[in-house]
Amino acid sequence: MSNNGKITLEIFRYHPETDTEPRFQSYEVPYDEDWVVLDAINWIKDHIDGTVTHRWSCRMGVCGSCGMMVNGEPKLTCAAFLKDYHPRAVKVEPLVNFPVERDLVVSMDGFMDKLDAVKPYIIRDDVNDTSEGEYLQSPAELARYKQFSMCINCMLCYAACPVVGHEEEFLGPAALALGHRYNKDSRDQGQSERMEVMLSDEAMWGCTFVGECSVVCPKHVDPAGAIQQAKAMGAQEYFKGFVMPRGAGG
Amino acid sequence: MNHGTTHQHDVIIIGGGGAGLRAAIAIAEENPSFSVACVSKVYPMRSHTVTAEGGAAAVIKDNDSLEDHIYDTISGADWLADQDAVEYFVNRAPPEMVQLEHWGCPWSRMPDGSVAVRPFGGMKIERTWFAADKTGFHMLHSLFQTTLKYGNIVRYDEHFASKLLLDDAGNCRGCAAIELRTGTVRAILGKSVIICTGGAGKAFPFTTNGAIKTGDGMAMAYRAGVALKDMEFIQYHPTGLPGTGILITEASRGEGGILVNKDGYRYLQDYDLGEALDVGDPRHPQKRAMELGPRDKLSQCFIKEKNAGRTIRTKDGDAVHLDLRHLGAAKIDKRIPFVRELARSYAGIDPVHQPIPVRPVVHYVMGGIDVDSNSATGIPGLYAAGECACVSINGANRLGSNSLTELLVFGAQAGTHAARFAMDRPDYDVSGLEAQAADEGERIRRDYFSMRTRSGSERIAVIRKELHDAMEDGAGIYRDAESLDAACNKIAELRERYAKITLDDQSNCFNTELTAALELASLLDVAQAMAHSAMERTESRGSHQRLDHPDRNDDDFLAHSLAFRAEDGGAPRIEYRPVTITRWPPGKRTYGADSGLKRPADAAAANDDTAASGETR
Amino acid sequence: MSGQYHRPHRWAWWTERPGYLRFMIRELTSVFMAGYLVVFVMTLASVGGGEAAFAEWIAALGSPAWMAAHVVALIAAVWHAVTFFGAVPQAMPVFLGERRLPGPVAQIVMGYGPWLTVSAVIVWWVVR
Repeated sequence: MSNNGKITLEIFRYHPETDTEPRFQSYEVPYDEDWVVLDAINWIKDHIDGTVTHRWSCRMGVCGSCGMMVNGEPKLTCAAFLKDYHPRAVKVEPLVNFPVERDLVVSMDGFMDKLDAVKPYIIRDDVNDTSEGEYLQSPAELARYKQFSMCINCMLCYAACPVVGHEEEFLGPAALALGHRYNKDSRDQGQSERMEVMLSDEAMWGCTFVGECSVVCPKHVDPAGAIQQAKAMGAQEYFKGFVMPRGAGG
Repeated sequence: MNHGTTHQHDVIIIGGGGAGLRAAIAIAEENPSFSVACVSKVYPMRSHTVTAEGGAAAVIKDNDSLEDHIYDTISGADWLADQDAVEYFVNRAPPEMVQLEHWGCPWSRMPDGSVAVRPFGGMKIERTWFAADKTGFHMLHSLFQTTLKYGNIVRYDEHFASKLLLDDAGNCRGCAAIELRTGTVRAILGKSVIICTGGAGKAFPFTTNGAIKTGDGMAMAYRAGVALKDMEFIQYHPTGLPGTGILITEASRGEGGILVNKDGYRYLQDYDLGEALDVGDPRHPQKRAMELGPRDKLSQCFIKEKNAGRTIRTKDGDAVHLDLRHLGAAKIDKRIPFVRELARSYAGIDPVHQPIPVRPVVHYVMGGIDVDSNSATGIPGLYAAGECACVSINGANRLGSNSLTELLVFGAQAGTHAARFAMDRPDYDVSGLEAQAADEGERIRRDYFSMRTRSGSERIAVIRKELHDAMEDGAGIYRDAESLDAACNKIAELRERYAKITLDDQSNCFNTELTAALELASLLDVAQAMAHSAMERTESRGSHQRLDHPDRNDDDFLAHSLAFRAEDGGAPRIEYRPVTITRWPPGKRTYGADSGLKRPADAAAANDDTAASGETR
Repeated sequence: MSGQYHRPHRWAWWTERPGYLRFMIRELTSVFMAGYLVVFVMTLASVGGGEAAFAEWIAALGSPAWMAAHVVALIAAVWHAVTFFGAVPQAMPVFLGERRLPGPVAQIVMGYGPWLTVSAVIVWWVVR
């Protein structure tokens, strides 16, 4: 049923120890209609060229490791099926808008710092002891932020965001959505602290709402929506500042 | 390999999954002046905890009791669990789960705002907390994000720990780790070390496990002289997608899904697992019965159906059907949306309209690094927690939803004990440990980057494939002396051939071919312990089913196996240690009608509660 | 060792994805909105110049070129409004309990509905 012929992968190659410029290398692999692009890359690494370098782990779209550009589109390669490209060749590149470490591996340093910057954890003045049981949170309260908690940090949204491409410092879709996720959590009291970061120049006002982050997001997190909502919250905070003394809001 | 700088901390954690992160927070909270290093071969949010779906068990509802959770766990383990450890685990489970709730985990809720629970296999009362069907994902991300709060947790992301470093007195003082970006071998030193590196499902070809689950931590401890305990117990999850092995969570059965054979018949009723209640019956799904039986039994039933010719042929092998259609789109989308997403993407099937083909798939290693009930190994200063460790609370068969709780309870415990150990320790001789790390760098250079390896004749993928076949054929759901002997011999052969391995990649930066070679070495060690431990246990218990010894033998084998690595890499020495039995003497494991329920009348009442807890309405 | 590779800046980035192009068009529509505002200010100025000046200005606006410019400005304004309302469900989600209003419904409730109501009131006020 499967296994009809071959398919060509053109893979972006760059090795910092030997190259100054990247190049593309073509590999022919067996075509199997059940295969995803990641399977084909693994086949190359196992059977043709052990130097091809990429990240992967779960192969079920939840660990977020295997994001790459597939024919110019940011994709989880474990969820990009060869049958959607066959018989054309598939061009695989590292995610754009990130420095390339080697081949298909990009540097995550900046991204990790940005996640850290938005204080993505529950901040409370009064912390209950666990013996008092869970904080109550109604299904309606959960629904307010649940979508924004689904981010797998695959960074496809950064590859789709032209602002990230132009402003290295821009916090970017995933980090801002994560900050918003905690602001919307009924258990959290850290909004004003978090907003100090999110209202800075490199943060949400840098977003021009191109919206492609939400288009490429494999988990339907809608970071663009999160950022626009955060902007509305930020504007509210700003006006509240006029009518209320600082500290009373939030 | 470059020789790198030395890094000193108080406690070193190897592994950044659920257990490692929980340990890191425990130490950071209790010892703000401590420096905690978290060394992981992947960024923490890539760790395999992320793929866990169904939920995490802890007693929190009024209709439940600690006693029941203990009994379910011990009987599920076929009495191979240490009962003092199980008691500790069950008692610590609720506060740990509440703690994670306080840290922001988005648990699914009841209308009143309290956390919701769902039934799971082998549990007589619903006690599984869940965040839809991405529980592990939410737990891991909540833990990881919480670690960002603490300035004293230092992460070594994408550092592959390859060797434990012991001082002259035999205390564990850190590890040698390869920084993937540069290929530099670093000495990362501390006063105590916790291994939290997860399981080793990748010893098998067909597994729910991600690529990273290669038993590195188990192998590291094994090589340092710690025994691997109960390695013959490998859990097959009854419902994986054929072909890919992608997990379809037990929660789909907890929500009422049924398993049928090629005739549309609920075959589990033929195997002492109870009565097939109509799916419209308010008592369905009945706990500790039928589809909510334990995983070992359900996987074994599949093989029996297959041998009777009643399974369904698919292009990816035999399967049965997991039918969720009667649940309806609304309930599926609310409670198990990921199941629908996975089935659609990877099987081309929408479970709202079609049954999902499923078959048993390697999921979890019950065995692991031998630790006591304080998470301590026999080496002073060395601790282990999570799937890589064996306390044991899982015995011969782990119950679904106990492992996520386990990594919280024992991650925290290992952190606390490792920190206490570190507090009492004087400083140590850095130069000796640095020299060991340099030797490790030299070993790697010699083994993988010398002229010999450039002209070697063996490929990683070939040896790995043969290992997979040997394990599946020899040490699968049913084994016997002959099949295990073949597996042991094959592994011995592969170990020899491994010495002739060749790497295409002779460079330093991000050499994932090197890490694949190191991972294969780990798998060969771990698989050897599995096969030999299985060979020596001439009884059937839980997930270890010997065709040539079909009965449980408490007289000789109510004991943990301990595999000690042979210096020369030959057959490991197997010893036994009695199981700790406190209040629950070994009994018959029963599911279905008389399913070990001490209060049968409660079964119906408990089911009524489930129906009423309809978050779906 | 040359270290990490940084891709060159892509100046034609807005041609790379249809979504980028749509974004650029959306942003460009604001130029026409601003242009129309200038025309409106000029109209007010002509009122200040007396009845004759106003009549002359209005007559000039009747020329085919001005009519065409107005049609273009109207299309741009409508497109801008459509994209604005299109963003409403993302930027201002409406929840009923734990259920979120579906996108099209939210657009009507929060966008087109109020817009059409206000427009109808204005039309009524002008033509009565």
